[in-house]
Amino acid sequence: MQEEKEFIKELLNPKTQNQAFQKLLRDYQKPLYNHIRNIVLNHDDADDVLQNTFVKVFQYLKNFKGESKLFSWMYRIATNEAITFLNQKSKRNGTTSEAMQSKIVDNLQADTYFDGNEIQIKLQKAIILLPEKQQLVFKMKYFEEIKYEDMSEILGTSVGALKASYHHAVKKIEEFMKTN
Amino acid sequence: MKEFKLNKEQKINTGFTTPEGYFDLFSENVLKQLPENEFKVISIFKSRKVWYYSVAAILILMLSIPLYINYNTNSKEIDTEILEDYITYNSTITEDEIVNLLETEDIEKMKIELNLQETDVEEILLTNADLEQYLLN
Repeated sequence: MQEEKEFIKELLNPKTQNQAFQKLLRDYQKPLYNHIRNIVLNHDDADDVLQNTFVKVFQYLKNFKGESKLFSWMYRIATNEAITFLNQKSKRNGTTSEAMQSKIVDNLQADTYFDGNEIQIKLQKAIILLPEKQQLVFKMKYFEEIKYEDMSEILGTSVGALKASYHHAVKKIEEFMKTN
Repeated sequence: MKEFKLNKEQKINTGFTTPEGYFDLFSENVLKQLPENEFKVISIFKSRKVWYYSVAAILILMLSIPLYINYNTNSKEIDTEILEDYITYNSTITEDEIVNLLETEDIEKMKIELNLQETDVEEILLTNADLEQYLLN
């Protein structure tokens, strides 16, 4: 925690800011990309959202109170950015977020930046049938292997509620995988 | 129907990939997008400019304080004493004109209640020689 405080100081100090921010990018760009990509599904969209996320992180760093971990604060920004992006994009296209995701999953096979087999596509199809919160919890737990405690800080939901969400999500996915 | 248990199956990954060298270029792209001035050393000229603005602001504030106080103390109601003096010394208005301007209500207000005894009236009448002239007129 002390180390993190020092790192935040470096990020805020104009003399050390550049180097510190480059380290932040190196450490977090991959996990945050995966997190965003799991939500928006498409690479180009994930790239846009990831860039916006880091620009926002940089802009709001001076307001970061240190009440939560830097890691969870950044994940929170990334999650909000990704969800807002999806809602805005679906609105622009005159459709719903669910319908848009369903379309992307149906076309996954043709996606240049998807290298998966049938079971992976089937899993994605099962996930998009879940309510938004369950989707998020499932992806964060199953794909990203984020601890419930950290997830609780990111999503502002109790650990108990998150465990219940994950349990329901797994049941529904298993049912889908079994029958389809 | 075949049983499917996520925790018993081999872990299924997302299958999502990225273009080659994507993360190397990503850092560069983001750094280019950041507000430039955050990374620049603040020039002496710029910091001087801030000082000039501060001094100017203080001067304006100092000059405006007396004006503000003056403005606030200038009551819209004219001081009675000043008005009286003005009418007495500068006015060309005659007494008759003033009387004409007065409403009955104003005259009522100006009435002075005097508790005159008969003896006092007599004394005034005796000592004031002009009164006879007035009565005749």
